[in-house]
Amino acid sequence: MPPVDPKTYWRSLEELGDTEAFRRHEDNEFAELLPEDLPAGSRRRFLQLMGASLALAGVSGCVPHPNNPTWPRWPKTKILPHAYRPDGTDPGKPQYYATTFEMNGVAKPVLAKSYDGRPIKIEGNPEHPASRGGADAFAQASVLGMYDPTRSTGPARMSGGETAAPWSDFLGDARQVLRVAERNGGENLRILAEASSSPSLARVRAEWQQRFPRMKWYEWEPVSRDAERDGTRLAFGRPMRPLYALDRAQVIVSLEDDFLGEHPNAMVHTRDFAHARNPDGAHMCRLFAVESFFSLTGSNADSRHPVPSGAVTQVAFAVAAALANEHHVELPAELSPVLSAAAQHGAHHPFVSRLAEELAGARGQGLICAGPSQPASVHALVAALNVALGNAGTTVSYAADPAGDRAGHVASIRELARDMGAGQVKALFLLGGNPVFDAPADVEFGDALPHVEFSAHLSPYRDETSQKCKWHLPRAHTFEAWSDSRSWDGTWTFAQPIIEPLYEGRTPAELLASLAADRAVTGRELVEATFTAAGAGNWRASVHDGFVKGSAYATSVPALAGSWRPTTADFTWTEPSAGACEVVFRPDAKIWDGRFYSNPWLQELPDPMTKLTWDNAALVDPATARDLGVGMGDMIRLTAGNHTVDVPVYLMPGQARRSIALPLGYGRGFSRRMSERGREGKQGGGFDVYPFRGSETPWRVASATVARTGGHYALVTTQDHHAIPNVDNAMQASGQAQRLPELYREASLEDYKHHPEFAKHKVHHPPLVSLWTEHDYETGHKWGMAIDLSACTGCSACVIACQAENNIQPVGKKEVSHGREMHWIRVDRYFSGDIENPKVAHQPITCHQCENAPCEQVCPVAATIHSAEGLNDMVYNRCVGTRYCSNNCPYKVRRFNYFNNTRHLPAVMKMAQNPDVTVRSRGVMEKCTYCVQRIKAVTIPARNDRRAVRDGEIVPACAQSCPAEAIVFGDLNDPKSRVRKAHDHDRAYAMLAELNVKPRTRFLAKVRNPGGGAGHGVDHGNDHGADHGGGHAASTAAASTGVNG
Amino acid sequence: MNVSDDISRAKRKAVFPPWLDITVKVGGVLAGLGALYVVFLLYYGISPQAMDIGYQPEQPVPYSHALHAGQLGLDCRYCHNTVERSAFASIPPTQTCMNCHTAIWPESEKLLPVRESYSTGMPVEWVRVHDLPDFVYFNHSAHVTRGIGCVTCHGRVDQMETVYQNAPLSMAWCLDCHRAPEKNLRPVSEVTNMTWVAPKDPKAYGAELAAAFDINPPQDCSTCHR
Repeated sequence: MPPVDPKTYWRSLEELGDTEAFRRHEDNEFAELLPEDLPAGSRRRFLQLMGASLALAGVSGCVPHPNNPTWPRWPKTKILPHAYRPDGTDPGKPQYYATTFEMNGVAKPVLAKSYDGRPIKIEGNPEHPASRGGADAFAQASVLGMYDPTRSTGPARMSGGETAAPWSDFLGDARQVLRVAERNGGENLRILAEASSSPSLARVRAEWQQRFPRMKWYEWEPVSRDAERDGTRLAFGRPMRPLYALDRAQVIVSLEDDFLGEHPNAMVHTRDFAHARNPDGAHMCRLFAVESFFSLTGSNADSRHPVPSGAVTQVAFAVAAALANEHHVELPAELSPVLSAAAQHGAHHPFVSRLAEELAGARGQGLICAGPSQPASVHALVAALNVALGNAGTTVSYAADPAGDRAGHVASIRELARDMGAGQVKALFLLGGNPVFDAPADVEFGDALPHVEFSAHLSPYRDETSQKCKWHLPRAHTFEAWSDSRSWDGTWTFAQPIIEPLYEGRTPAELLASLAADRAVTGRELVEATFTAAGAGNWRASVHDGFVKGSAYATSVPALAGSWRPTTADFTWTEPSAGACEVVFRPDAKIWDGRFYSNPWLQELPDPMTKLTWDNAALVDPATARDLGVGMGDMIRLTAGNHTVDVPVYLMPGQARRSIALPLGYGRGFSRRMSERGREGKQGGGFDVYPFRGSETPWRVASATVARTGGHYALVTTQDHHAIPNVDNAMQASGQAQRLPELYREASLEDYKHHPEFAKHKVHHPPLVSLWTEHDYETGHKWGMAIDLSACTGCSACVIACQAENNIQPVGKKEVSHGREMHWIRVDRYFSGDIENPKVAHQPITCHQCENAPCEQVCPVAATIHSAEGLNDMVYNRCVGTRYCSNNCPYKVRRFNYFNNTRHLPAVMKMAQNPDVTVRSRGVMEKCTYCVQRIKAVTIPARNDRRAVRDGEIVPACAQSCPAEAIVFGDLNDPKSRVRKAHDHDRAYAMLAELNVKPRTRFLAKVRNPGGGAGHGVDHGNDHGADHGGGHAASTAAASTGVNG
Repeated sequence: MNVSDDISRAKRKAVFPPWLDITVKVGGVLAGLGALYVVFLLYYGISPQAMDIGYQPEQPVPYSHALHAGQLGLDCRYCHNTVERSAFASIPPTQTCMNCHTAIWPESEKLLPVRESYSTGMPVEWVRVHDLPDFVYFNHSAHVTRGIGCVTCHGRVDQMETVYQNAPLSMAWCLDCHRAPEKNLRPVSEVTNMTWVAPKDPKAYGAELAAAFDINPPQDCSTCHR
């Protein structure tokens, strides 16, 4: 591959190489007439069937409708009003309830929008300190998880095939088992729970511990931050939880810590980070990332250094050494014996001195953070450095770990599996989780589980673990039951039921309390009793708010314990032997540890970095792949010890050399519906990599041999879909390269200060003359949007928000491979510069609601026309599906329904649909409407009350969900509106404005803060400053001639 | 060569077979019938019956609007109380019926489904009369708070023993008013008045109201289609 110009942007290696595959996507927007789409059979047979169906259709018209024999025209429908209408509800008006969604023991506080008693949309809780209005993709998609047709509906005996049984059978059996267990104090009783921060569950647990003093309670999560606990225990003598205040940071160094992506508190981090990175603020923070895989955080870094995960320890200790030696930072005495060795080990990382210099220059305003995949020693060092640099107390503070005395997750499951295998466990209750699928391979949990005499698994699905238990118990979804949990900062957060339970599910606390109390204890009783016992204030007010104000953990800056003795072994890293690579495990950005496997919204969401849908893959950097002789989609076999795994290769630029990242959670075959769809090729399903994960170093395999298997697997990524080609030279290889810097405009902070209007001068065009008489939008509302590319981190929460709000249907892997995904908002991810370590640009693209919309001019049936407020209305009932509009759309944001995607939706999934938005059928075009239903939901009541619409009152789904507040919507005719100010901002630019389409969405250009003279490669276009107008006289003349001619 | 030879040769050479004569005749009749059928279809398609005007399904409870809204003079909003703030005027909950019917006609057989609903909490299953397509979003509050009377669309409900559909509810009918709302405007205080008459020429009076309250109905697609 030729060397890459640092200014060049590219979406994928295919584009960079201008391969045939990319050109096919670019040239053929509508993949159609695919042979596999056509039914098999001859032309004669086809005509026969067509004739028969036509005749039968005519006959059916003569038959009265079965629902309404007297009136043949329409089906008879009923209206079912409440018998008793609850106070404060108006039929047809949505209501919002504060509730929460717990994941990995951390509450994600949300508001559930409920329509006539069914939740349809999840948004962040704006008043909650751990959400502030933002909600991640997992929390937002959780509503579809509740309506998942593969959910278990009732308890079942799982021994000797599944047989449904009532709860009373189970409770009778289990109480009998517990009475026996009570005799020896619960010696052979075990509980394996998912991580939970629920105070109510803790209370029930304490009661159980009292009744069964010798019972053992274990906790298991495949993705946990235990290393952080262990590290802070080394540093401070007890496990602590670091809480970052990124808005106060000026320099951030992330040691493989994806604090914007996979961190449980990512919503708050993203908001704070966006504030800290405001290029117009007093200080713009600078982010350095040292990591093996390309994380979301790394993609937002000003300076990123790909380093194998195992070598990050070297970097960490070398930075410490540089701080001590070169910048005279006083480090704790216990570090001094290893510093010289550390400096030596880190010598081949040239960027270390820069990191040390930046950190030393921002004492008290810097922050070092380490990720869960780093060993405890790195976390201990990071804590020591943050204290030594004075960062602790400003950018990071520490709270005592809420479960400080619990054993580590890996140690727990290992001990439990050992006891089970040894026959010491007579009764086991599994509260959530799926350890048979996700426990480390060498623990052999699944083999040990059948040895337990009485085992019961509380789970939303009859999954891998349920299959090996004696009982399966359905778990209530968080929106069906009362529960409580704590957010990352410790705020006590409540979940309340938004819907009558769909099935017979119960929560873990309800299950345990009911077993102990010999009656059905409700979640509300439990939570309310915990609340009353804690004397936490007004119950109703707290449930209304969704949390108890001021209940966050107390934070402090603890003193270093001084007992940690680092050794050179802590940072000794040996390169994997020839032909081998390091393997790093990662939670998947979409299905996490596998728990969201059956959620089609998340499965189809393009991964923020790889843009893969429906699958996982081994992420390999292109140079290593070349050495290994593998390309995109080639199957490789990884071997370490006696564990092997086969996975396809995905070439990921920026991945560390000879370090392979494996996203967890795929390859589950438990769900019948999913596997059927998988067989039809509609879905991927990916590859299960847990069998390759050991318990010794659960995040990393230091050295695994890599071999080609010779097979190939079709991976589907959306990275080349909807490319915006250069119209003039779309057929030339340089088309994209020229176009992309015009679409995505960026500068370094220095250049921005020097030339604030850099973004406005990227494209030069003759004065724009319209062929049409243009509409006047100066009176009334003039809706507009602004997207700040400096704030956007690419997290893709907006994509799921839009999907939930607008009834956008997933289409499956096969259709995505044809470029037929339906997302109304997409996040384009561009790389630029060095293939080994590219910079990344994230750009959300929606319909730009052009005033001179090219789509409208070509629609033969006027199915897309302009509203007086400047919206580009799409009228589904008029659309006949010519797709001319999409063909003519320069932004490539229109989506066509090739199939009736809702026709075979299970009834329960239809409950997730938003009644305010039309459900589209086959043959209809659709696209972003700026959430016109949300606009109307504000403007109509405002007009009813004869008042003006306030700025910020209308929030489209994408803007609502954005944790970085990158998207602003409002009335451009209001001079004080935020969107008007954003449109008038120096950094504002209209994409493709040179086509005279007059888009209503403007971007605020990206500003990076690389510092250190690294940013001067960015073109800021000031060479064109003087020649506006005159230099284009000739082309103006040409343009007007063209119009006249 | 003689004449009969010529004829027989001509017969042999005939382009069209004799049975075609009858086919043409039958075909002509069928085509005529077909044309008639098309005319009938068009006529039926735009007839009030096809537009559902007059659709008057039987309801589970023989509730009489003529009695309640007419003779007793209940305001529409006593039951349809969300009409000023929600898209739906809403069918009242059973509770509303029982506000009076615990005391009035508490034993009536006709009210059995209502009492049943009141005691079980299950809804009374009313049959929908006014049914718009699912891609149409009509908002009651946007109309009644701007001075469109109930009677304008629903007709003289106060005289209906059983409610029927009074207007075609077609897009053309909606647009007629959105293009020229004057003839249907009235003071907001009179929206539920079934017998209100404009004090002067309705069009001129409506134009005054439209000017005073800035009534300017949108005709954008997204006004109704979302």
